[in-house]
Amino acid sequence: MANENGRPKVVERDEIVRALNVGKSFGTHKVLDGINLTVRSGEVLAIIGPSGSGKSTLLRCLNQLEPQTEGSITLAGITIDARKAATKKQLTDLRRSAGMVFQSFNLFPHLSVLQNISLPQQRVLGRPKAEADIRSRALLERVGLASKADHYPVRCSGGQQQRIAIARALALDPKIMLFDEPTSALDPELGLEVLAVMKELADGGMTMVVVTHEMHFAETVSNRVMIMADGRVLEEGPSQSIMRDPQTERAQRFLQAVKNR
Amino acid sequence: MSAESLLVILSGIPWTLAITAGAFTMGAILGIPLCAMRVSRSWLLRSMAIVIVLILRSVPPIVWLFLLYFGIGSGFFQVGPMQASIVALGLITGANLSEIYRGALKSIHPGQWEASHALNMPRWSVFIDIMVPQLVRVILPSATSYIIGLLKDSAIASTVGVTEIAFQANFISRRHFQGLEVFAVAGLFYILISLPVAAVARYSDGVLRAKVAR
Repeated sequence: MANENGRPKVVERDEIVRALNVGKSFGTHKVLDGINLTVRSGEVLAIIGPSGSGKSTLLRCLNQLEPQTEGSITLAGITIDARKAATKKQLTDLRRSAGMVFQSFNLFPHLSVLQNISLPQQRVLGRPKAEADIRSRALLERVGLASKADHYPVRCSGGQQQRIAIARALALDPKIMLFDEPTSALDPELGLEVLAVMKELADGGMTMVVVTHEMHFAETVSNRVMIMADGRVLEEGPSQSIMRDPQTERAQRFLQAVKNR
Repeated sequence: MSAESLLVILSGIPWTLAITAGAFTMGAILGIPLCAMRVSRSWLLRSMAIVIVLILRSVPPIVWLFLLYFGIGSGFFQVGPMQASIVALGLITGANLSEIYRGALKSIHPGQWEASHALNMPRWSVFIDIMVPQLVRVILPSATSYIIGLLKDSAIASTVGVTEIAFQANFISRRHFQGLEVFAVAGLFYILISLPVAAVARYSDGVLRAKVAR
């Protein structure tokens, strides 16, 4: 309807994440400085950059595992401003919309694969166990691990554990998935299984923010790429143009370094 | 040694077991708030916990027992020998277990908390479903050796007249002027009680570990 008088379609409605002037300091050490970021529904954003550039911290600010010390973050309609401590309800509502996958998987070692995926559904969404188990099995099928349901996580390879962790997050029906270097702890072959699942998710229209060192994924699967260094955004834009033709000298240096390995 | 003497010593076993079980239960419960204080964000609570644990652990068990039984027990209100023994050993157990709990908490990978928070699990569920089962696995071996130690420490209750194994052995040895055999039998009883405790712990630890082992 907004198109009728020639104005661009209102994008506000589609926006699922907006970070405004976000900063994060640990004591006197400033890890993030003046970050602005928007993610629209259905979009895949890859955040790349050298280690220590604040990528993971930014991602962890998005679901408030690390509250930012400056600026505001809006995720799925919940706005959290650094000047005011978030209420418990805000945190619950915000985290309900955001699924997170960690570098170190963080599956619960004392629970079977099936319980790992079902327990959060039961406790967070109040789904009955039988219903949760059906959902869990369907998700395990989707990530190619139906046969692992009754195993314990330690009996699974790293790539399998990460796919289980993705299934566990998906089971809570998030609106957006946050990936914190999901393949960094895996050897390249196992990483591929995880990337395949992530590509399938992206193709299925899931909104994703992926902190990664996988340049091929950033270039081919994500819609947009953001390059960070020293707590700031260096460049941000459509994946292909950013990856092939970076404008700043620092970004060129970084991409040279990772591509010529 | 006569059968009658043997029976007298045997009659001490329930008291020994009751002191051990009572003190351990009390300590296991008391250790929880102490540990919570020790890892609290509040500087005051942390310092209080450090001081309490230090005091409880530095004073010998028998001094605590006399303090409770002869000190408080005869002055302010009546404390029976049994209650005094359980409370004295229970206090010390609480201090020691709070440190064992704290070590176990530290051994849990921080990612477990992060994942629980990111999944939005309610606080009670994080504790009951995620943390306690992992903590129990870590605590079990040290708690078992503590129980066996406590079983032997329960002998100090004989000094205030609780008729447990050591008291009865002492009584018989004085009556019949037989030191060696009587105390050897008492020692044997302590060993016989320790064995099943250790066996149960080994078995349950094995079962718990088998599930999560490669």
